[in-house]
Amino acid sequence: MINVTPTLSTSEAVDLVNLSAEKTALEVKGLDLFYGNKQALFNVGMKIPKGQVTAFIGPSGCGKSTLLRCINRMNDLVEICRIEGEILLHGQNIYDKRVDVAALRRRVGMVFQRPNPFPKSIYENVVYGLRLQGINDRRQLDEAVERSLRGAALWEEVKDRLNENAFGLSGGQQQRLVIARAIAIEPEVLLLDEPTSALDPISTLTIEELINELKNKYTVVIVTHNMQQAARVSDQTAFMYMGELIEYSDTNTIFTKPKMKKTEDYITGRYG
Amino acid sequence: MKKWFKSGSPWIWMTGGAVSLSLVAVIGLLMLIGWRGLVYFWPHTIYEWHITENGKQEVVIGELYDDELVPSARVRAMGVELPANVGEVLTRYLVKTGNREFVSLDFRWMLETDIQQRIEPKDLAVLERSTNGNFYGYVQRLVVDGKPLADDVHKALPEHLQRVRQINKEADDLQKGDIGAINYQLEKLRMKERKLQLNNEWNDAAKKEFADQRAALDKEYQVLEKHLFALRDQASHDTLIVKDMRGVEVSIPLTQVLDVNWPNQMGLVQKIGHWFHQIGKFVSDEPREANTEGGVFPAIFGTVFMVLLMTVIVTPLGVVAAVYLHEYAGKNMMTKLIRIAVINLAGVPSIVYGVFGLGFFVYMVGGSLDQIFYPESLPNPVFGSPGVLWSALTLAILTLPVVIVSTEEGLSRIPSAVRHGSLALGATKAETLWRIILPMASPAIMTGLILAIARAAGEVAPLMLVGAVKLAPTLPMDGNFPYVHVERKFMHLGFHIFDVGFQSPNVEAARPLVYATSFLLVTVIVGLNLTAISIRNHLREKYRALDN
Repeated sequence: MINVTPTLSTSEAVDLVNLSAEKTALEVKGLDLFYGNKQALFNVGMKIPKGQVTAFIGPSGCGKSTLLRCINRMNDLVEICRIEGEILLHGQNIYDKRVDVAALRRRVGMVFQRPNPFPKSIYENVVYGLRLQGINDRRQLDEAVERSLRGAALWEEVKDRLNENAFGLSGGQQQRLVIARAIAIEPEVLLLDEPTSALDPISTLTIEELINELKNKYTVVIVTHNMQQAARVSDQTAFMYMGELIEYSDTNTIFTKPKMKKTEDYITGRYG
Repeated sequence: MKKWFKSGSPWIWMTGGAVSLSLVAVIGLLMLIGWRGLVYFWPHTIYEWHITENGKQEVVIGELYDDELVPSARVRAMGVELPANVGEVLTRYLVKTGNREFVSLDFRWMLETDIQQRIEPKDLAVLERSTNGNFYGYVQRLVVDGKPLADDVHKALPEHLQRVRQINKEADDLQKGDIGAINYQLEKLRMKERKLQLNNEWNDAAKKEFADQRAALDKEYQVLEKHLFALRDQASHDTLIVKDMRGVEVSIPLTQVLDVNWPNQMGLVQKIGHWFHQIGKFVSDEPREANTEGGVFPAIFGTVFMVLLMTVIVTPLGVVAAVYLHEYAGKNMMTKLIRIAVINLAGVPSIVYGVFGLGFFVYMVGGSLDQIFYPESLPNPVFGSPGVLWSALTLAILTLPVVIVSTEEGLSRIPSAVRHGSLALGATKAETLWRIILPMASPAIMTGLILAIARAAGEVAPLMLVGAVKLAPTLPMDGNFPYVHVERKFMHLGFHIFDVGFQSPNVEAARPLVYATSFLLVTVIVGLNLTAISIRNHLREKYRALDN
């Protein structure tokens, strides 16, 4: 087997197939995704538990980022993309015609691979989402800024320079700023798309510790190339290959006793 | 040799050479118009020539304006007697003698062979006058209230001149300000009256009310007019007696004299001071003598006002059009056609825009506005005639392609990561555009504006049709409500240059003014550009993207 320390999580392994409705944050049902005529996701179905960290792993091009972007409907920005199937956020299909996409994205936040702060001050970056909702009261915003920056483990480093341009921060700090920006609006689900692949090892470690804290308040779904990272931070792991969900269970099981051969081949490094 | 070619040096020489050539051309042009224009304001020496022309002895007083070489053979062929010992070519001098009402021409040519003597008397004075141009001569004495003043005229003159100037200024302010306001109100009253008549609401009660108002305004007018006449009368008490080049003593009312100077007595420092003073007057005074004298302030004001109005119109229009083309339009044939149309707009000759502006804006839109909102003013058009609003609109359409193209360019440079970041936080496309994308594109928008301003401030042909005039009685902005009058015609520096250079009654007198106004126009445009560039640099600093 591989040399990996099993997950740090202390929660019990959840029964992912028969997960109760209150414990489910997201349910993907029969999801097919097409880019024009080319199908990229094949009949994906899974239940993502609330208040836990779920990781998507798999080789390049397997569709894990695509699946992640379906959850906050960022794939809508691609014109040729077509979806069939459902994704239920707390029981409601987010692909229903009556759904307000902007409201959905307030409930499901996303952090991208490369940090993308706005060309504004640190303060204005964090309160951007709040101002969108019409909150302009200075005191409320100050409070939210401190809360979010503490939550992103960035407060101590930037509390004296909130009005400086966000581009003055280092890569790791910018990524934490982006996380602070995402949690400032208190979403229900936080999607992290390879959040540390562009960062140095120390920043990576900081953010991994952060993810462990975040799951106390949010449901976290993380896509990662780094299997060790998935093993370290996640409670559940889903392995995908060529657009199909191959295996999905608690992290311990995936990394020590995988059921499918493809999973085993991937985690032992035979391909990927 | 081959090695030199291969090393890349010729490339450096060629590119450097091209830049140098361009710089030389630009600086050369600026220096040429600057020199010829600014020399006009320098206090030149006034000479007195004693000449014998056609057997007659004459004294000619004036400024040496120009000289040229003529072949003596040609001069002889014209029937002029020349002494036997002259060379192949002769010099003849152009002298500005001024004194327009006393001599037939205020510029005259003199052959060098006719000149007996040339002196520079220190006492020669030049009088700048409000009518009939400059006067050159010897100042004799002041006459106050019909009685000659015994004091030394050189000492007494500045004081009397200052007094007359002040009275005249007060009178001018009264005429333009207070009396102008009363005239404006009378005109508005007449409009209201006509409106009521058109609506069949013109009854006896209204008649009485209007008659009362008009009486009150007339009364005010009488009082002001009386005051004005009193002031003008006061100013005309003094007369200056000057001896001109014919030896005759001439009376010039002091109220016509704007300034008196003795340039032959001035030292270098004084001359430099005088030069700055004249330039100051040039940019702050109004024109006189059919634009061949005086200042160009109304033209400067008109140009800047129109350019600013155009900027206010073209910026939102261009930015919104570019945002539509870049963000919302589908990638189909229709969008391609629209883009092609926009780019072709840039190639249309500007006079065609003028004709379009005249037909569409002035006659159609303006005429309709008049029908709907100002029926009482007909048949005098209010908006149905050329004006600063229509000029600004015409030039806005002219410069629209530039703004659209550079805005689109700016929008496409913004990394999509920032866009996605905003959308992922729950912003709509419109919110993302307004809060993030457009601010980041603002340096590019400013670039488009800079180009638009540079082009619009220099265009003259379309303006001739839609609003620029030789002489505008009022500025587009004054103290009467609504303070900004966009239906008025205006003066424009470019048009002023054309008018002074080609349509003035006295081309020689006007030529230096053409250069001076050209130099001023270049300066105004450079000023507008520098302002826009500094704003753009500030925005660039603020919104620099991550990968820059």
